[in-house]
Amino acid sequence: MNEDFRKTAPAPLALVPFEIPQPFEIVLPNNLKVVIFEDKRLPIVSFRLAFRFGEVNEPRDAIGLTSAMTSMLSEGTRTRTSLQLAEEIESLGAHVSASANADNTVIAGSALSLYSSDILKLMAEMVLFPTFPESELKLYKQNTIEGLKFQRSQPNFLAEEQTSRILYGSHPYSITTPKPGDIEKITREKLIEFHQKMLVPNNATLIVVGDANRDEILQEIEENFGGWKEGNVEEMQFPAPPARTMTTVTIVDRPGSAQSNIVLSNPAINRTNPDYFPLLVMNQILGAGASSRLFMNLREEKGYTYGAYSSLDTRRLAGAFEATSEVRTAVTGDSLKEFFYELRRIRDERVSEEEITDARNFLSGVFPIRAETQEGLTNLIVSQQLYNLPADYLQTYRDKVNAVTFEKIELVAKKYVTPEKMAIVVVGDAEEVLPQVQSYSSEIEIFDTEGNSVDIANYGKSSIGESADVNGKWNLTVDFQGQKLSVTLSLEQNGNKINGSLESMLGNGEITDGKVTGNKVFGTAKIEVQGQSLEIMLKGDLENENEIKGMLSAQKDGFPDLSFTGTKSG
Amino acid sequence: MSGNFQLPSLKIEQYALENGLRVVLNPDRSAPVVSVAVYYDVGSRNERVGRTGFAHLFEHMMFQGSDNVKKTEHFQYVMKAGGTMNGTTSSERTNYYETLPANQLPLALWLESDRMRSLAVTEENLDNQRSAVQEEKRLRYDNQPYGQVIDLLVGMVFKNFANAHSVIGSMEDLDASTVEDVKEFFRIYYAPNNAVLVISGAFEPNEAKELVERYFASIPAQPKPPEINVDEPKKIANEYQKYEDKLAPFPAFLIGWKIPPRRTPEYNALYLAGKLLYDGESSRLYQKLVKGDESIIQLFGFTDERRGPSGVAVGAIPKPEQDLSKIREVIMNEITDLATNGPSAEEMQKLHNQLINDTVRARQSSLARAQAIAEYALYDGDPTLINSELDEFLHITPEQIKTAVSEYLNTKNRALLDVVPAGKG
Repeated sequence: MNEDFRKTAPAPLALVPFEIPQPFEIVLPNNLKVVIFEDKRLPIVSFRLAFRFGEVNEPRDAIGLTSAMTSMLSEGTRTRTSLQLAEEIESLGAHVSASANADNTVIAGSALSLYSSDILKLMAEMVLFPTFPESELKLYKQNTIEGLKFQRSQPNFLAEEQTSRILYGSHPYSITTPKPGDIEKITREKLIEFHQKMLVPNNATLIVVGDANRDEILQEIEENFGGWKEGNVEEMQFPAPPARTMTTVTIVDRPGSAQSNIVLSNPAINRTNPDYFPLLVMNQILGAGASSRLFMNLREEKGYTYGAYSSLDTRRLAGAFEATSEVRTAVTGDSLKEFFYELRRIRDERVSEEEITDARNFLSGVFPIRAETQEGLTNLIVSQQLYNLPADYLQTYRDKVNAVTFEKIELVAKKYVTPEKMAIVVVGDAEEVLPQVQSYSSEIEIFDTEGNSVDIANYGKSSIGESADVNGKWNLTVDFQGQKLSVTLSLEQNGNKINGSLESMLGNGEITDGKVTGNKVFGTAKIEVQGQSLEIMLKGDLENENEIKGMLSAQKDGFPDLSFTGTKSG
Repeated sequence: MSGNFQLPSLKIEQYALENGLRVVLNPDRSAPVVSVAVYYDVGSRNERVGRTGFAHLFEHMMFQGSDNVKKTEHFQYVMKAGGTMNGTTSSERTNYYETLPANQLPLALWLESDRMRSLAVTEENLDNQRSAVQEEKRLRYDNQPYGQVIDLLVGMVFKNFANAHSVIGSMEDLDASTVEDVKEFFRIYYAPNNAVLVISGAFEPNEAKELVERYFASIPAQPKPPEINVDEPKKIANEYQKYEDKLAPFPAFLIGWKIPPRRTPEYNALYLAGKLLYDGESSRLYQKLVKGDESIIQLFGFTDERRGPSGVAVGAIPKPEQDLSKIREVIMNEITDLATNGPSAEEMQKLHNQLINDTVRARQSSLARAQAIAEYALYDGDPTLINSELDEFLHITPEQIKTAVSEYLNTKNRALLDVVPAGKG
């Protein structure tokens, strides 16, 4: 049977059009904006009461107040206790949750459409008449403080915390999370005052998506939210994020880490910047997905990581470009090298037409997939509303993606990818990370997982400049599955750098990229063992000027880590 | 109110090709999107001693190229067509799936058929993916606080090696895998007669059938894979273990029980009992421990759904200075209460509304539909269960919940894993 048809990818079938109508919009007399999108595919409904304020708007002496206020909405109202609210909502099989981020505060409800009136009523009760009971506030504070401790055990949180601090300086976006002391200071009075001031209809949009009848639901909304009083919405001014002038390195020391979490970042654009679409397409080519350059390089070619990506964090007032990966500790430096290679390549070399077409096709093709579920569609409408994007934003999204040209991509890459002034943050074992990142910046700072600055001199003893002298020949005894195996190292030291050779029964290899940091010796030797090329990593600690002990580990193979001891022979 | 709810039926058509590939079509035009799911009947349950993590490592190999699709091109073809894709491995199966604009159905079938008939297994690809998997293990398990505890608990509950070892496997076993192993694994398990293909979304059934025939019919069947035995003694393997977690900031514990296989009335009853105990802020244990005693920071629980003996677990992260044995006593008292008095009428009403809501929501995405249908087709030989499973759950009585809790949870036959923070992390 002729199977030639398999040789090339098949042509698509006839296009199935995707039309997304514009939702119905109306503003109530109290200036609450209502957006209704009837979607009767399934008997379910979603509500979002979305406010254009977030953590960025909370007073500087009351960090954490926005989250506390939103979380406490479900902890008691004038007619219901916390338990009654939970039981009432969950007994309908429904969900109501409230959350805040830097820019926005959203109360979300979803239910079978037969319970749509009940859920709307409960949402109104929580938003308009919360009581913030003292006992519930005490519990919230306790649990939040414990939660803050838990966050500090998670490497990606630590990386984001430092990245925001560095990028945003005195702008409030620099604060990722409150401190326990901030939580202690929250009082019931502050919550009541903040609630009155911030949860006002004239700063909110109520979005309804799903199996609802426009006129009926509008009437119910008026009944539940019509009496809600307007308030004053202050325009706030914030300091500008600092301009970056050079590449910096920040290490968060997390001893015992199995990997290094790397985040490279620089300031970029806010959500409404006209460069948004070109940057979106550029980011797709560089690192947004599993067919992007970073993933192809660091995972598929090098095997350093499970994934490597870049992303845009576009907020209301400012934003950042980031590239991230979690790599095994030993290849932290090698990974940075590949990151910088890719950052320079996207900025300095012409992107092929094929890559641009592929990226545009991906972004416009997945758009209907993102809108397939009610949740997905609702989220799209919520961002359009919260960021005041054009009314036809969802209808024209794919056209805007498809209009991005090579010239635009080149322009935004040069403008928003700045490898010469990156903020590099690495969360990992500082003792092992430090020697690998030293060549990237003269500005290196180290923090502990609590966020306190640590003196760099605590690492690698005299880490910069005064490194030990390891010139000469070393005889190592390696413990190889119970057998003693001799290995000879011949090292030539030049400043902190080491070259040399490794000789053993199993094979010989050159050391070309070795380093001495304080009393620590690092190097890699490529040797041939039974026809296989094997990369051996050497890590040693000098006990004194004539004695060393440490570990040999093979990079991608079935070799266990081998410990060794050794002495200098001349 | 929920008693009157009529779940609209999904259109399901199933048939098999001559080579044994089971095909299920679920045409649904609610969005201009199509999802294709291929489920192979191989998971960690099929792995031998010394080869743990193999099913999952193999999942990575399936993205490394075949006769007409070069290494890494699988991702690229799907993405440039505007689609998303992935693969996952569990104890029960390995799955691969794509969601694409509806007109790209032929692409998904071409890609899936090419790797089913001609996967390229090379030393270089194996080395590279072994590294990616080892980094995945470091990322998800070794470098996360509490990252290992669920695998440890599974090892305490189950005695049979087929059930007891982790999906991610051990670094040593991953290192020991050879190209020959991978080729043999492919031949045995990645045969059309060991797989289910599901298409869900906006497509014409006749057009889809022609395409399936064109791409899959000539792939040869293989001898049936070896039978496996997932039987378990009633007794759990290990009642107590203390685990020192150097990344954990707080102590924690997990309690695990062994329960009957999925889709038995007992399993279904215990799934519902679990919801009452730990699911949501109105659940019994949340109200007793997070509220009430204010003794824990976090409560969690889950059922481990398997074709063979399955599991239930409840865990908590207590506040500092709390007496852990007291917290466990509260949990066991609540279980005893459920075993003695059964759930209340209000609780049954809540369960029914939650089941209906969850079932309707799970039908929105073509991918979620394709995945659920594929499981019923592969595990039960009956994809139409997607239309009747809700009823099976709705018919579980309070008495059945009470009896199942009494027999399977209210017992000393349970595993306790104590997690102790070790060293400054």
